[in-house]
Amino acid sequence: MKKTYGVKIAAAATVAVALLSACSGNKSSSTGSTGAKTTWSRMEGDIISTMDPSLITDAISGQAATDTMAGLYRYDGSDLQPDLATAVVKPTNSGKTYTFKIRNAKWSNGDAITANDFVFGWRRTVDPATKSQYAYLYSGIENADAIMAGKKKASTLGIKAVNKSTVEVTLEHAIPYFETMLVNPAFFPQSEKAVDQYGSKYGTQSKYLVFSGPYKLVGWNGTNNSWKETKNDSYWDKKNVHIDQINVTAIKDPSTAYNLFKSGKLDDASLTGDQAAQAKSDPSYQGVKQASTFYLEMNEKKIPAFKNTKIRQAISMTINREEYIKKVLQDGSIVAPNLTPSGLATDPATKKDFSAEAAKTGSQYTKYNPKEATKLWTEGLKEAGLKDLNIELLTDDGENSKKTGEYLQNTFEKNLPGLKVSISTVPFKTRLARSTAGQFDMVMGGWSADFPDPITFLDLFTSNNSYNRGKWSNAEYDKLIDESKTTYANNAEKRWDVLLQAQELLTKEQGVIPIYQRVQAHLVKQGKISGLKTTPGGAYDFVGATVKK
Amino acid sequence: MVKYILKRIGFLLLTLFLVASITFFLMKLLPGTPFNNPKIPAAQQAILAKQYGLDLPLWQQYVNYMVGIVHGNFGESYQFAGQTVSYLISTRIGPSLQLGVQAMIVGTLLGILLGAIAAIRKNTWVDAVATIFAIIGRSIPNFVFAALLQFWLAYKMNLFPIALWDGFSSSILPTLALAMAPLANTARFMRTEMVDVLNSDYIELAKSKGESQWQVVAKHAMRNSMIPIVTIIGPMAVDLMLGSLVVENVFAIPGIGQQFVQSITTNDYPVIMGLTILYSVMLTVVILVVDVLYGIIDPRIRLSGEGN
Amino acid sequence: MADNIKLGADAFKHVQVNTAEQEKIAAPSLTFTQDAIRRLKQNKAALISFWVLVVIAVVAIVTIWFSPADPNAQHLAYQHLPPKWGGLDIPFVNGVRKGVDLYATNHVPKGTYFLLGTDYLGRDMLSRILVGTRVSLFIAFLATFFDLTIGVFYGIISGWKGGLTDTIMQRVIEIISSVPNLVVVILMLLVFKPGLTSIILAIAMTGWVTMARLVRAQTLQLKDQEFILAARTLGESGSKIAFKHLIPNLSSTIIIQTMFTIPTAIFFEAFLSYIGIGLPAPTASLGTLLSDGQKVLQIYPSELVFPAIIIVVLMLAFNLLADGLRDAFDPRSNNR
Repeated sequence: MKKTYGVKIAAAATVAVALLSACSGNKSSSTGSTGAKTTWSRMEGDIISTMDPSLITDAISGQAATDTMAGLYRYDGSDLQPDLATAVVKPTNSGKTYTFKIRNAKWSNGDAITANDFVFGWRRTVDPATKSQYAYLYSGIENADAIMAGKKKASTLGIKAVNKSTVEVTLEHAIPYFETMLVNPAFFPQSEKAVDQYGSKYGTQSKYLVFSGPYKLVGWNGTNNSWKETKNDSYWDKKNVHIDQINVTAIKDPSTAYNLFKSGKLDDASLTGDQAAQAKSDPSYQGVKQASTFYLEMNEKKIPAFKNTKIRQAISMTINREEYIKKVLQDGSIVAPNLTPSGLATDPATKKDFSAEAAKTGSQYTKYNPKEATKLWTEGLKEAGLKDLNIELLTDDGENSKKTGEYLQNTFEKNLPGLKVSISTVPFKTRLARSTAGQFDMVMGGWSADFPDPITFLDLFTSNNSYNRGKWSNAEYDKLIDESKTTYANNAEKRWDVLLQAQELLTKEQGVIPIYQRVQAHLVKQGKISGLKTTPGGAYDFVGATVKK
Repeated sequence: MVKYILKRIGFLLLTLFLVASITFFLMKLLPGTPFNNPKIPAAQQAILAKQYGLDLPLWQQYVNYMVGIVHGNFGESYQFAGQTVSYLISTRIGPSLQLGVQAMIVGTLLGILLGAIAAIRKNTWVDAVATIFAIIGRSIPNFVFAALLQFWLAYKMNLFPIALWDGFSSSILPTLALAMAPLANTARFMRTEMVDVLNSDYIELAKSKGESQWQVVAKHAMRNSMIPIVTIIGPMAVDLMLGSLVVENVFAIPGIGQQFVQSITTNDYPVIMGLTILYSVMLTVVILVVDVLYGIIDPRIRLSGEGN
Repeated sequence: MADNIKLGADAFKHVQVNTAEQEKIAAPSLTFTQDAIRRLKQNKAALISFWVLVVIAVVAIVTIWFSPADPNAQHLAYQHLPPKWGGLDIPFVNGVRKGVDLYATNHVPKGTYFLLGTDYLGRDMLSRILVGTRVSLFIAFLATFFDLTIGVFYGIISGWKGGLTDTIMQRVIEIISSVPNLVVVILMLLVFKPGLTSIILAIAMTGWVTMARLVRAQTLQLKDQEFILAARTLGESGSKIAFKHLIPNLSSTIIIQTMFTIPTAIFFEAFLSYIGIGLPAPTASLGTLLSDGQKVLQIYPSELVFPAIIIVVLMLAFNLLADGLRDAFDPRSNNR
């Protein structure tokens, strides 16, 4: 099952987990050696769904795009570095104009990559005829909303080629996190020649693509379970690409992944559940932290008792997150004291982590405290004029859903007298449809960062946001979020302060109940690879990594 | 005979039309849209729905779809942007077909053999062993069986590849995992029928004419025991050839089975429709063939409709 | 040589023709059913299977009230414990896995044993298997019921009537079997609440098709045979022929197919559990237990082995009993 929880493309949070400690130091050690090719074999949980940069939405296609295509910027670990742009630029015109210089680079077919390729790619993505699902990321760029709604032509988008090597982007208002979005494939350049030549087949097979990134995709017929990435000699920074070939296979069964790793067929296997727990004692074990938080949403429209803050706090404090993660999830995930995951963003002044700073106050509301929970619960019920409460916990067919449902049901009924929980299991898409339509009492939801800024999480729970399915509403909170976008848009420190206040308020009120931040368990062959970093979204960056033969 | 077959082909087209229509409307009852990705805002979803023609009245979508099918256009997948349904199916059905055919051959041949031996040696230890083997084969779900085969024969004993689709050797374990069900089914039916047949008068006659037991079995009993087997083999073969999510998952095989289940749980309407129609074509053709085979195997059966 | 033997009149005796004696039937007079039961009783394997099934069913039902432990009670500290039978030091049931006594390392109090170990939430496997058996038997029972009612009669009518009726009925079957089961299940999940009811209804709606096709095929074969022709000539009504002649002659096919319906139903539910939309938690069935066990087969084999043993025993018993029933009820079988 394709789980779109994991939609975390390159443009995501700042969790940089250098996989091995001996990283960036020995960058150019193994280049120039002739003879045998160096290869790295890894796996994905599913197959590539498309390689058309305008259409990519899932993490697997996103990883392949990060490997084979280039945008203006590229993450080197958590550092934003220029890729096709010559430098990371500062905006002018009070944050509304960006001018990028394009470096001298080539497509894999030998054509030069020009400013026009950016203009063409961006217009194509935002054009309704392209049917891009991520076109909404363009919102805020001049005329983007009107183009998406079909009111203006794509050629009116706020991007223009000043000359062959200069791109100018105009925004409708300042977007403090704009530069971090540029590593998303939706903002990559596209060759007009290739798009015209391949027509509707563009991006559906490796032979219907041209590449601008460190690797070329080979042997992908659009639907197969395995594909290869070979070094792209046209890439401008090829001297820092040391692994000649990356082999990727889609494997869905964690036991199969484990067996393949153990028998040496895979250099890197990702595991879940009991296989992950078993692997933890293995010296090859690595945890890759991701910028995604999972939380409980309570439907205040359907169950009025959830409007009571004490009831929400009681539910939160009855969950033993440490135990749940250690015994039920078992994949090394970490406790989420806040909605905003740790490692996502750092204080512009003090460089402290946002989540850690926010957790200083209000962490008692996410700490396991059954006694206090029972007390708050009884008080809350009394205030709501109720004796008991029956709710349905909506879950889906996902990997850990069943265990999680069983655990939560048990723990709630144990500590909260008068609460009866029944579990309803539906397929993932049905679960989403029901969440959106408000047909649930309580549901476990998840969100992963679109870009490394707390607003990608905090914006969700303003009163009118369509993702605020539980309809928790707080005027103070709405005001703080609004201020961060308007009054303080160009004042990083002030903006930080109001976001911090908003996060603290959300935690205190438990408008949503944060449970855990996901860490993905991997088994990585020891001593073979060095210098491999992960981007903030948890994608691998193979530029600069080396492997032993 | 020719007239009968032509008539049946006419019915076949009608059946296909009805299946396509029913599936189309059932699918529209499935909750959610193919776009309710948690990341896509509601406004963007509405735009997408319009771009894909999902906002049109139902009857219009239906007409558009049926017209497309008649022209051989099954549409594009939602999950795999830009990929046509026909291409998706044609590239992924190969391994499933190969495994299905292999499993069918191995399963039915061994099953017929096992069932026949059990019937001939009825109520002996041979019969008991064959029966118990068939029942155990039928009692273990194939996801368990596949995992056991992988663990013991591939991982522990290193006799076969653990997984991945790479040459004939990698197809052996999945074939075995898939063959268990047809093996057990045919063995059970074969034994039962054969026991009945061996008790019938014409077998007594043949025996009394001095034919040896093996001659009797080969010449008379086998053929007459095949009726129910032929009935179950058809749909079983179609099921097998369209792949198994479980076996494909465990052995990481690029087959169509996973895609079928995934398209249903992700509301990928065009893919569901395409695969359902393919399944339906295969099934109805197989049933037609089976009905014709009845007449050949057992001359006593008149084809219904023939001569009317 | 004239060794004539003289036979006197007294050498001959009048033979008494005793009509009563002549017509006497040595065996007690039995109806068809009585006769069948008598034959069934002679079949030892079938008899043992019957009692095994009775015992399993009774245990599964009685444990609704007297379960060894609460099947849903979680003890996260006692996750994935291997089986332990008191103080017995026999491998596999002594609480030791890979040389480590997990009961000691997890601080399980002395005197607490889990006969079949525990699962991923530390729940007692024995109690869960008992619940699972009950639920699975219930699903199997209902699936069989629909098979026997809808499937058998549909098949007989289709095969017997022939002509246009048969053609239409067969096309209906083709349509029903062409619509993917999973679509039906998901629609049922929607119309009804996710759970046992919707799964059983989905099985009921799609499961009887194979039975109907098999019965029809056999009916086509039977209806031109002499005994049916005779019954027809004698003017018996269609329904009487169906019950008196067809069903007994179809019994072997019906019984064998029923034996496939049971595992098919149980496995369909198991498949739904495997893809994550089976019975809602925390209810157990043999299907959910097998699908959970499969995931940890290499790490905690006991969690797969025990449900697997139960299902194999159940299937063996069902099938051996079915063989006995078939031999007993089929008029063509000469095991009498």
